[in-house]
Parts: sequence; structure tokens; C-alpha cells
Amino acid sequence: MDRIANFFASPAMKVVLLAFALIFPLIAGSEYQIYVMALAFIWAIAVYGLNIITGFCGQLNLAHGGFFAIGAYVVAILTVDHGWAFWPAFVASGVFSAVFGFLVGIVSLRLKEHYFAIFTLCVGFIIYLLLDKWEALTHGSLGIINIAPPEGFGLIDFTRTIPFYYLVLFFLVLAIVLVSRISSSLVGRTFLAIRISDDLAQSLGINLMRNKVLAFVLSTVYAGLAGGLYAGVVRFIGPAEAEVVHTFDIITYLLVGGIGTLMGPLVGTMAITWLTQAVQSFEEYRMIVFGPMLVLLVIFMPKGVVGTFLTWRGRRLASKAPAKEGQTRVGDSATSSKEASDNA
Amino acid sequence: MDAFLQQALNGLTLGSIYGLVALGLTLVYGILHVPNFAHGALYMVGAYISYYIMVDLGLNYWIAMLGAGLFVAVLSVLCERLVFHPLRHAPPIHDKIAAIGILLFLEAVVQMHWGSDFRRMPTPYTGILEFGGLVLPAQRLLIIVGAFSIMGALHLYLKKTMTGSTIIAMAQNREGAFLVGIDANRVAMMTFAIAGFLAAVGASLFAPINLVYPAMGHLVIMKAFVIIILGGMGSIPGAIVGGLIIGFAEALGGYYVSSTYKDLIAFVLLVVILSIKPTGLFTKGVR
Amino acid sequence: MKVLKSFRRLAAASAVALAIGGAAHADEVNIGFTGPLSGGAALYGENTLEGLRMAAEEINAAGGITVDGEEYTINIQALDDKYSPSQAAVNGKRLVQQYNAPVIFTPHSGGTFALQAFNERDGFLVMSYTSVPAVTSKGNKLTVKIPPNFTDYIEPFSRITMDRFGNKLGVANATHDYAKYWTKEFVPVWRELGGEVAAMNPMDYNKSADFYTGVSKVLSEDPDVMFVGGASEPTGLVVRQARELGFKGGFILMDQAKMDEVAKVSGGIKSLEGSVGVVPLDKYENEGAKLFLKKWQEDHNGVATSETAYNYFAMYLIAQAMQEAGTVDDAKAIRAAIASAMDKVSVEHNPYDVDGIDEAGNLGADPQIAEVVDGEVVLRKLSEITE
Repeated sequence: MDRIANFFASPAMKVVLLAFALIFPLIAGSEYQIYVMALAFIWAIAVYGLNIITGFCGQLNLAHGGFFAIGAYVVAILTVDHGWAFWPAFVASGVFSAVFGFLVGIVSLRLKEHYFAIFTLCVGFIIYLLLDKWEALTHGSLGIINIAPPEGFGLIDFTRTIPFYYLVLFFLVLAIVLVSRISSSLVGRTFLAIRISDDLAQSLGINLMRNKVLAFVLSTVYAGLAGGLYAGVVRFIGPAEAEVVHTFDIITYLLVGGIGTLMGPLVGTMAITWLTQAVQSFEEYRMIVFGPMLVLLVIFMPKGVVGTFLTWRGRRLASKAPAKEGQTRVGDSATSSKEASDNA
Repeated sequence: MDAFLQQALNGLTLGSIYGLVALGLTLVYGILHVPNFAHGALYMVGAYISYYIMVDLGLNYWIAMLGAGLFVAVLSVLCERLVFHPLRHAPPIHDKIAAIGILLFLEAVVQMHWGSDFRRMPTPYTGILEFGGLVLPAQRLLIIVGAFSIMGALHLYLKKTMTGSTIIAMAQNREGAFLVGIDANRVAMMTFAIAGFLAAVGASLFAPINLVYPAMGHLVIMKAFVIIILGGMGSIPGAIVGGLIIGFAEALGGYYVSSTYKDLIAFVLLVVILSIKPTGLFTKGVR
Repeated sequence: MKVLKSFRRLAAASAVALAIGGAAHADEVNIGFTGPLSGGAALYGENTLEGLRMAAEEINAAGGITVDGEEYTINIQALDDKYSPSQAAVNGKRLVQQYNAPVIFTPHSGGTFALQAFNERDGFLVMSYTSVPAVTSKGNKLTVKIPPNFTDYIEPFSRITMDRFGNKLGVANATHDYAKYWTKEFVPVWRELGGEVAAMNPMDYNKSADFYTGVSKVLSEDPDVMFVGGASEPTGLVVRQARELGFKGGFILMDQAKMDEVAKVSGGIKSLEGSVGVVPLDKYENEGAKLFLKKWQEDHNGVATSETAYNYFAMYLIAQAMQEAGTVDDAKAIRAAIASAMDKVSVEHNPYDVDGIDEAGNLGADPQIAEVVDGEVVLRKLSEITE
């Protein structure tokens, strides 16, 4: 039992996961499964973004789906209306999300907790309304068709599923590596301090505003780039993609996997995506299950799958070798993510 | 001039509904510091219950309104007991996510039971009053009068009754309220019941001039949030004034500026105000 | 009762879920469907799917189809996409690879566009139930647009109302994609016929809390005719509020709204005096419509929607085309055979008298239009008016 648990938390697990992801197209039953996996990877990138601001920094950003849509629209508008190639447009989607995120961030992050959540909910809605109504720019409710796919420069054809899968996998791995670097760095610890308490962080000499804006911009860049990739594979985008339910979906992925943990976003996204595909015919009743599940999760298992596992393992280790466990704990939730960054 | 008065009247109608919904939201926030994202779903359920009582059971409009009010009040208390109460010591982010869970659940249940098509709720008051060039359908008059009577009644309840004053006391000072022996559980349940009741009555008043469908609460609740931020979260007069501001802004803005961007007005107003004054218009301190 | 129905559907759904494990039968051809079966547009999705299912059941009950000497039954594989294009794409991949579906039906433009990103390469035919012109105008060779072109309605609608009420138009229709296409096509025609557009004020029919502001803005320009329409019920509200605010002219109802349904909300057919629009199928007098409705009523309550009827026909058309083409998996051949299959679909399976397909993949028909004259609905075929 312990050995299995240790293995799950060991660095070797990462290698196994990566190896599995690399050979997945070979063992998958059909292209359909690879396609689903690629889309899930894209969402996972967005979930990693939310994890930075919400998981690490403790600010519930309800406009996250809006930033995803903005990234997709930047790629769509630049490639379709302005004749850009995909890659420069993709870079632009990241840059634009960063700039827009910065602007929203400096206004919204002055607000505390609930004000921030409600404000971002409204921002998300404004994004949706603008995409829907500003016809001259966004084609309004008609959406944008024939978005350029990523160019392979004659070497690879990214309109095919398998090459695209590896492309997305590449970005996902990059995203995870970056997050893990951040979370183990001073910046990451600063974010955690902010989550625990604004006042505490401030008394430690942390510049609250600067760090919060940094976390926010990082998260919007993740969302924007994920949106850019999404536009490149689906090649059609409409305002419905900016609806708030997508933000709720992202939150569900994060919460199920484990908020504030390193592997949580991936675990949550994969679990829910495949669960949804498996019970496709139950779609209509999905929210009847997911709604209460969200409630039960926050009441009984607020740390999600990964967080709960890490806490459980942490306790076990602590009870076995109480002498060795010398580190001081900064509250339960902080520990779990620290463990996550150390172990997962 | 006529056009202006006509729009002002529309603004008053809209504003009084927004005010009712925002009142419940702000009460709950004042007591528990929970931004109840599920409040819009309660509003929607209220409309469906009153539709059911009126159309399927064939009962009177007023009975339907009362029935919906009571049903949703109970539902609202259940949410408090089963969800928000167990989460009272959790980090604030958990309340919000749980509220989203309730919202998704209620919408899914309504959709499963009633489907997602538009329904029309009849009203017994179909007359149209005319003052000079001004047109005022009876149902709209009913909305304005009804909403303000309820606000008045709520005011009396909060000021003149014992339970009412405990709510106010707790909203003003939680620790102080505990010290003088106020039963926090009872107050919380009472507040949720009132909030649910107001939402359902607001929905029953508004439904006859609108349509009943599962997503009907989305925009209303978003605007209610804007209103309580404008008016100061937890402030009762703030919710009413905020409701009227948004109502007028939408009616006049939609008429004189652009009805395409009408729904944006409330949100842009919020962004502008919060950019200048991060604590809202009427709040005293930071919370 | 409603709950019972839901449980029945749940049971049916789980049966489908169990069946997913098994591969397709050798003598079974899978026809794919991806559309909204949950969420706000679920009813619409169910309606379109019901048309396909009805046709498939009838075809199977009559012994299936014979293609190249072999007998096949038709199996509809339906997946939910919640109206989301990306989900439609996922479903499309699944339908093609797991179920070898040569044809995929979808009732929305977003889903169609998403499928068009790979349908020519993966070799399946998209049967799109949407009136959005871009679906077929961009040169995709394996797409068929099922509903007739709404543009056919524009001129007769304009002439009838302009002759009766005058040439000042107030635009107050909805703002979703279909409504926008309508407005874009409609306004120039109105002007060409000598009309003027006095007020231009489309409104979000599905989200608006109140139409009063928008309607009174249009009426302040004193139009003779109002162009309205979106889903039937909100359209009814707009009509009702326009009448309450004193509008005496006629309405042009966009074809998404069905006149009877609008009247239920707007205050009876009298409130629609002088309006032109389309009516539900049960008002049609051609043989196909009557026979179809009779079959429909054996199993269902109420009146079949146009989306059900068109998809019912489209399923018969595809079945016939497969027989003509002699293949159940070559999408190109099936597409090519549609024109010749058209004449062989019997009248009783063709409620709307669909009579042709053009190069780009648009089906053509001669629908009926309705006008309210002295409180009565008068029906005429489109061709009778344009001639």
C-alpha cells in the first residue's frame, strides 16, 4: 500500500505519465480517442492557469473562460480577417491575453475576496457580450469560420489529429514544467502566503498588488494560449465559447483534481473528460450529478483527488517517522500544495 | 417628453424587480458574507413554481405567488442548512464554489422536469391604463406597487419586530450579536427564508410580462450583484437605490443610446465605479 | 407524468450506453447525429433527432434498404454536443471512427463548421439542418443544407405588407446568427422595392429582460410595418408589447417564429392582423404533410415541428441515395446520388414537398406562406405569389 502511494508521489511517476502520453496514440483504439485527449490537454492548460491565481493565490477568477475565448478570438480574427499565419497569431493571443489580463488585473485585484469574484464574473460577462455584439470585429453571433490551422512548414500536417496531439502535449508539458518551477520558487511561496492571508503577506514585506497582478497575468496567458490552440484545432469559434458555464467547467476540473496542487489540474481534467465521454448518453442529467458533486467535494473533500491523496500520505509518513518530519506546517492546505510541488 | 416619461416608467418597473432580487442577495451577504450565486436559480425556481400552481393546478395568481414564495423560502433555508452552514468555517472560496454547484443542480432539475422551452405565464391583469400619451399595462403597475409594498413591509419587519432587529443587529456586528445572545442559526435561516421569498415573489411579479425558462435567472442575478456592489454589500437602502439606478440606466440608455448594448450598461457602470472607488458607492468601510 | 417521461428517457439512454460496447452489425448502417440533447437547446435537438428516428424505424420495419444486393437496417447513433462546436467535432470523430457512419446529421451551424474542418478528408457527408448560407457557400463538397433558403420568403413578405400598410419599416427582430442573416438579406430587398427603413433596432430575444424599451424605440419612428422574429414565444411578446404601445400596422414574422405559436402569446390571431409569416405543419394542405402528421400523431402529442418533418424527409432521402449509389460507405457517391434519389422518395415521406438539390448542396422546396386577413389565416404557396 505504502509502496504504491510512494510510487504515485515519486518523480518516477512523472516519467511514467509522460511515457504513457507519448505512446498513447499508438495504443489508442481510434483517432477519436486521441482527439478527445488532445482537447482535454488544451483544457488542462487553461485549468493550470486558473490554478495559479485561484489555487496558489486564492483569488477566485470567474472570468477565466472569457480569457480562453479571447485567446481563441485573437487567433481567429488575425488569421481570418487579417491574413496572419497561425503561429504569429498564436503568439499574439498570448500577448493580448497578458495585456488585457494586466488591465483587468490592476482594476480587479484591488478588490477583496467576494468583490473580486463578483467583479470577474461581470468581466466574464462583458467579454461574452462584446464578442456577441461587436459585429464589426468579432462577426457577432455568426462566429468565425475557416480559422488557419498551425503551419507545419511542409514537414508536419497539424490538421491531422496525431501531429496535433503531440503539439498540444508539448505545450501541456511546458505549462506543467513552468508551473512547477513557479510553485517551488520564491514567487510561488509568495503566492501561497497571499492565499493564507493578505495581512500576513503584507507584514512579511510582500508587495501584494504586484504579486497578485503577476499571478493573474500568468493565469490569463495560460488561458489565452489554450484558447489559441483550441481555435487551431476546432477552426470555428462563436461567442458561446465565452459563456460562463465554461468557467464553471474549468472550476470543476480544478476542484476535482485538487485545487492548489501540481498534478490536480491534469488529474481533474482527464477524469471529468473521460467520465463525460463514457456517460455521453447521460449528458442531460450531467449537472444533476455534477452540481451536488461540487457541493459535496467542497464540504467533504475540499482538496480534490490529488490534495486528499497527498494529505493522507503526509499523515501516514508523519505518523511513521515523527522524528524525521521536522518541517513546520503552515496550515493544512498550504502543506498539501507544498508537498505537491516537492513530490508530485 | 412623452418618450422620456415612458422610458422612466419602464425603468421604474425594471428597477423595482432588480431591487427585490438584490434585497435578498444583500441580506444574505450582510449576515453570512456569502455571495450566493445560486440566488438567480432560486428566482428561476420561483417562477416555475408559480407557473405550476397557476397553469397546472389552475389556482389564483396571488395564491401562486404566495405558494412560490413559501416553497422557495424553504428551498433557500435548505441550502443554508445543508450547504452554507457546514461550510461556515471554510475558506471563502468554498462557499462560492458550493453556490455554483447549487445553481447548476437547480437548473438541471428544472430542465429535466419542465424542459428548456419558453413558457408563458398568464396574468389576470391584462388591462392597459393610459395617461395622456403614456401607456401603462396593469401588470406593470402591479409590479411597481407590489415591489414597493414588499420593500415597505420588509422595512417594517426589520425595524419593528424582534426577529427583524436581530437580523439587523447581526448584519451590523456579528461578534456583538453573539455577545448579547442572538441565536446565529435562527437568524441565518430566517434571512435565507426572506431572501428566497423575495426572489420568488419578484419572479412571480415579473414572469407575466416576460417568459419562464431555465436560464431566466442568469442576467437578473448578474445585475443584482452589480446592484449590491453599487449599493454596498449588505446595505438594504443601497440595494433599492442601486436597483432603481440600474433600471433607469437600462431603460434610458437602451432608448437614447443603443439597445444592442443595453445589457452592457450595468456591467460597464460597475467596472467604472469600482475602478474609481473599490469599495462601492455607498459603503462606509472596507470589508 | 413529466418525471416518468424523463425516467423513460434515462432508461433508453442507458440502453444506448450499454450498446456502445458492441461493434456495428454487419448488416447495419450507422447514421450519425450530433446536436444539443441537453442544455438550453435540448428540445430543438430532440425534435430534429425524432424526425431521423421516426424515418429509420419506418424504414427498418419495412425491411430496411437494399444496397448493392445486400440488405441493411438503419441505426441512428445520436450523441449530445450541447450546441458546442468543439463537442460536435469530438462526436464527429467518434461517429466516423467507432461507428463508421458515412453520414452525420447536425442541427446547428457551429457544429457544421466544426465538422467541415475534417469531413472531406475523413469521408463523411454532413447533413446540416441550418439556414445559415455559409454552410454551403464555402465550397465544401460533402455538405447538404436541409432547410429551404429563407431568402425566398423575403420578396413576397415585403410586397404583401408594403401594399397593405405602407413602406416605412421598423426592424425589431432577434440578434442570434440566423436572425442576423435574415436582416442582412431582408433590408436591401425592402429598399429595392421602394421601401424605407425608419428604425433599425434588433434585440436579444433569448436574454432580454424586457422588450418595452426596444419596441418603443422602434415605434417612436412611426413605422407602417414591423419586422420581428426569433423563437415563437418571445416574438409573441414583442408583438404584444407593440400592440400595447399602439402599433396598428402589420408584422413580418421571420420564419423561425410560427404564426400560431406567436398568437398564443401575443393575444390571439387578431393581434396579428395584417401579418405575414409561416404556419405549423398541421395547417398545410398538401398530401405529404397530412400523411406525415397522421403517422406522427400515432406516437406523439401535439404538432410535429418543421425541424422534425424536414429531418424525417432527409433520412428517407439519404436511405434512397444509398440505394441509388449502391454503397453505404462512400460519402461522395451518396452525395452524388441525392439528385436522382429525390424523385424516388414517395410523397408520404416528403411533408414539405422538397423537390430538388443544387450544385452547392441546398435542398429546394416550395413552402407555404400565411397572411392574416380579417382575423383569418390565409395560406398560399410561395410560387403562387411570386408568379
